[in-house]
Amino acid sequence: MDFLERERREMSTVLRQPGEKPDRALRIDRRTFIHKSILLGTAAGAASFGWFPLISTLDVAYGAETFKFAWISDNHLYPKDVNTRFVEKAVRAVQEVQGMSPPADFLIHGGDIAQLGDPVELGLGNDILKEVKIRKVFIPGEHDWYLDMGATWRKHFGNPNWTFDHKGVRFIGLDTISRCPDYWSATKMSPKDRMGAMATLDGSIAGPWAGVGSDQLEWLNRTLSSWPKDRPVIVFSHNPLYEYYPPWNFWVRDWREVQEILRPYRNVTNVHGHTHQVLYNEIGKMRSIGMLATSWPWPYAPQGVPDLTTCMVRADPGDYFDGMGWSRLTVTAAEKVQNEYMMFGRKPTEVFGETPADSGCADNVNQKLHPRIADRGWYYKD
Amino acid sequence: MRRRALVICGIGLALLVGVTGAIQRAQAKGKQTPEQLKLYDELFMEQVRTGDLLFHGDADTEKKMGVTLSKTGMACAMCHPFASDNHPYEFPKFQTSMDKFATLRDMINWCIEKPQEGVRIDSDSDAMKALESYIYWSNRGSQLDPGRH
Repeated sequence: MDFLERERREMSTVLRQPGEKPDRALRIDRRTFIHKSILLGTAAGAASFGWFPLISTLDVAYGAETFKFAWISDNHLYPKDVNTRFVEKAVRAVQEVQGMSPPADFLIHGGDIAQLGDPVELGLGNDILKEVKIRKVFIPGEHDWYLDMGATWRKHFGNPNWTFDHKGVRFIGLDTISRCPDYWSATKMSPKDRMGAMATLDGSIAGPWAGVGSDQLEWLNRTLSSWPKDRPVIVFSHNPLYEYYPPWNFWVRDWREVQEILRPYRNVTNVHGHTHQVLYNEIGKMRSIGMLATSWPWPYAPQGVPDLTTCMVRADPGDYFDGMGWSRLTVTAAEKVQNEYMMFGRKPTEVFGETPADSGCADNVNQKLHPRIADRGWYYKD
Repeated sequence: MRRRALVICGIGLALLVGVTGAIQRAQAKGKQTPEQLKLYDELFMEQVRTGDLLFHGDADTEKKMGVTLSKTGMACAMCHPFASDNHPYEFPKFQTSMDKFATLRDMINWCIEKPQEGVRIDSDSDAMKALESYIYWSNRGSQLDPGRH
């Protein structure tokens, strides 16, 4: 049994106890039902790919009154003279959020505004996001941080973790990126090389960098202790708060401790970036939703997706807007919240791969992958 | 006398070449030694390592090989970590993004020219062989399925 298999078994043992589910009130709504009906005819074929037809919208929490909020993340901006396409896509997302009617109550930016943490990139992102006039809150991504260890990001966007209550929901922003074990000092790595290693998703130098950290775990525990256990909590994080695929840091390494703190709360939703794809999972009582990027879509993890995820459609690489976008989340007066993936150029019904041939994960059934080699010691040294 | 000596030398050289060739052919037919296997593997892994660096946008390797794979800052690995979603085992096939029947090398050049806005490389160039080596190596064990969309 390899490392990943052990991790997954442990996660199931710890968090998938009998009867441990998100609150029953958080049912699939009518729009979801319609989507399921459409998929019914393909369900048998889909099952062989571990492909579970489910949702186009999600019920995630209770709210005292109707309100909307929007999510943008993973813009990965280079300086404008290097790459204009990423700028175009970030601008489009910002314009679409600003064009929401009625307007969203706030925008959460989920990290990775910049590609290489360059002050020019972060400044460009800040300028683009200024076009959104509603309230904005920010959490950092690893691409924003490791050139100057967050100095520029903090200057523009403030503290990397925070909390506020809004219309009956406790919102928490977590910093899952800044507590990477030091891989740079011993080898006297330059800030640029440190950032380069961090910016390589499938690299091995930065290792398991994603984590919440003991100090922030204590803060999370304190922050939640005054909140009633049956009231909704929405936690924003750059990385998913469970183990999805550690080699690409599609996790936080201290997910056990995070889940232990969240466990007493009945209505917890984690909304995360970093994975650049449609993703959904339920871990214990927590629901977890992955958001789209505006820059490029990542492929699904080589070892497969959570059973509850309906994979997104295969993006057309010839259309540099396809497979990317932002998200609109609505908390309804009936105490439900819906997530709508706003994929550029596609209708909501076209976001998901509805047949194996169109699915972003069903086309990988014959694929077996191996970690890269050139950033490790030379092959014959071991 | 001198002419005779030259003829003898010539015959000797021809015999030597013939014998060496025969030995090489015999070796090719015979068992491979561990040293030979290690050498073959090293040669291949050197290509893989070079391809890995190119695939991940290593500027020094690009410069050394005289290629410009990207002008947008993007590298192959940004959309294809671990060379995933490359599907080298499906080529050749009809590739919708190119609207033609394509090989893996065609696809590599398409990615260089379109998303990365780089300069296409010769189909038989060292850089292409290295990229191909890395992509296949990273996908080793995948099921061969040519033509699959």
